[in-house]
Amino acid sequence: MRNYDDDYTLDDLLSPAHQARLLELLGKLSGAPFLLSENNDGTSEPIEFSLDTLGWLQAELPTEQHQAAVRLYELVLFYAGKYRLAANLHHDTTEASYLELQQKHAAVQASEEKYRQLAQRLTQQVEEQVRVIKKAQQELYESARLRAVGQLAAGIAHEINTPIGFISSNLRVANDYLDELEASLPHNHEAVMLFEDFHALLDESSSGTKRIARIVSDLKTFSNIDQADFAACNINALITTACRLVQAEHHQVLPINLDLGELPEIPGYPAKLSQSLYNVLDNATKSLDTEGHIRVVSRVKDNILEVLIEDEGCGMSEDVLARVFEPFFTTRDVGAGSGLGLSVARDIVVAHRGEIRIKSRLGEGTCVALRIPVN
Amino acid sequence: MATYSESTNKLTLKIVYYGPALSGKTTNLLQLHTLLKPQRKGEVMVLETRNDRTLFFDMLPIGLHSEGGLDLRLKIYTVPGQVQHDSTRKAVLSRADGVIFVADSQLSQQDNNAFAFDNLASNLQKLGMDIERLPLTVQFNKRDRLDAIEEHNLQVRWSSTPWAPLTLASALNGQGVVESFRQLLGRLYPAVDAEFSLARDYAIDSQTFMRNLSAVGGLSNA
Repeated sequence: MRNYDDDYTLDDLLSPAHQARLLELLGKLSGAPFLLSENNDGTSEPIEFSLDTLGWLQAELPTEQHQAAVRLYELVLFYAGKYRLAANLHHDTTEASYLELQQKHAAVQASEEKYRQLAQRLTQQVEEQVRVIKKAQQELYESARLRAVGQLAAGIAHEINTPIGFISSNLRVANDYLDELEASLPHNHEAVMLFEDFHALLDESSSGTKRIARIVSDLKTFSNIDQADFAACNINALITTACRLVQAEHHQVLPINLDLGELPEIPGYPAKLSQSLYNVLDNATKSLDTEGHIRVVSRVKDNILEVLIEDEGCGMSEDVLARVFEPFFTTRDVGAGSGLGLSVARDIVVAHRGEIRIKSRLGEGTCVALRIPVN
Repeated sequence: MATYSESTNKLTLKIVYYGPALSGKTTNLLQLHTLLKPQRKGEVMVLETRNDRTLFFDMLPIGLHSEGGLDLRLKIYTVPGQVQHDSTRKAVLSRADGVIFVADSQLSQQDNNAFAFDNLASNLQKLGMDIERLPLTVQFNKRDRLDAIEEHNLQVRWSSTPWAPLTLASALNGQGVVESFRQLLGRLYPAVDAEFSLARDYAIDSQTFMRNLSAVGGLSNA
């Protein structure tokens, strides 16, 4: 297809059939035959269109008639040319518009795709944010609850500490007085029985106050009242000490196997770390029946210092496992446990940027992993 | 874009009358046809109109045969001015060698002038041409109208553009039409000469170019 503003040949403007028809009609009108040729043979007249000579009209006619035929031919070409120009322009324009439309369409599709991806990304980001917010909310809720519990605990600990101090001190003094009183009184069977009973009562009260003092101490650690010194900690040494303490507490040699690897010293609060180790070990010990062992492993893996405390004790159900870190949650009888052991242990480990993981199956035992990053 | 055909030794140039609707582009062309006595002049083709408004384009071919044997043609087009015919306008504008922008002098039409001029610039850009480099004449037509903006104001407003001075016309009365056309020829010649060496190879200097393409009336040698 030619451009609308190209120059046209005779065939562009008029089909050969129409050219022949036109010549035939001219011939009939004038009574002489016409011939169209591409060159001037001397008796021809030029047919012009838009300043171009498109052909030569040859006829045996007087000049005036010959010229009139040429003008008539040119007039036909003029109108044919107008149509051809308009049609070609229309074609050019349509083609250009279509091309433009296609480009716009492609651009729209590209941008649609872009926005689709953007929407997808946004949805993902929103979901991600929602997850983060939910988690943060949960943590906030938990930490607010813990803070409230901590404040309560700190208040109680503070209030109890002083009376428990003088009660235990008084009980000791009372015991001494009782000795003196016993010595100064005559010995008879009834008095001996009475004093024995009295001593037993005072000892029992004493051990009761000790237990109260221990619970208060747990509460203090839990509520972060104590600010023990920050130092380089040898975890293996802390484990060994904690094991000894647990043995002493239970007045027996426990079946504890130590498998301690080589550990780097890590910065931390040794007293608190001991406390958390003690609490976990204490739980392990209490879970054991008459049989079963406790295994303590320490090691460094992927820049994480890990202390595993495994027991072959009673284990826990999933319901219990889900609540073990809840402050004051306990499965033991009232008075036998504060329900703070694992909460305290976890808070301590978290304060060292670590975590506690617990695996347990009812009746098969429990494995508690204290994990603290080395750097 | 001027096209040269070696086989026929023919050089075709394209001039386009551009401008807002009803500013008088077709009138300019028809007056050129009436007034000009170039060496060669064809018929005006008024392609199609509806209510006197151009739908496609009008075209006037003129030309000259140089002593050097060059067949030089000038095809003068008008575009449809109405906003909705933009794709036609762009098609007609493509490969133009020079543009005469016909603005309307009436105060009320200044926004349309500005809009059409922006449209010219953007269409040229889409066609890969630069309005700053294209030979361009700006004509303010309809000087016969009562509310025509004062000439001094117009000239001052356009003085800092590459297209100053403006030409003024009253195309309906045949005034200023040829002058505008000549200004464009004057701006067109250097560009064509630079590309086709008209003076050197075809003995067409600036004067010959002007005289043979824009002679008026009986003064064919003016």
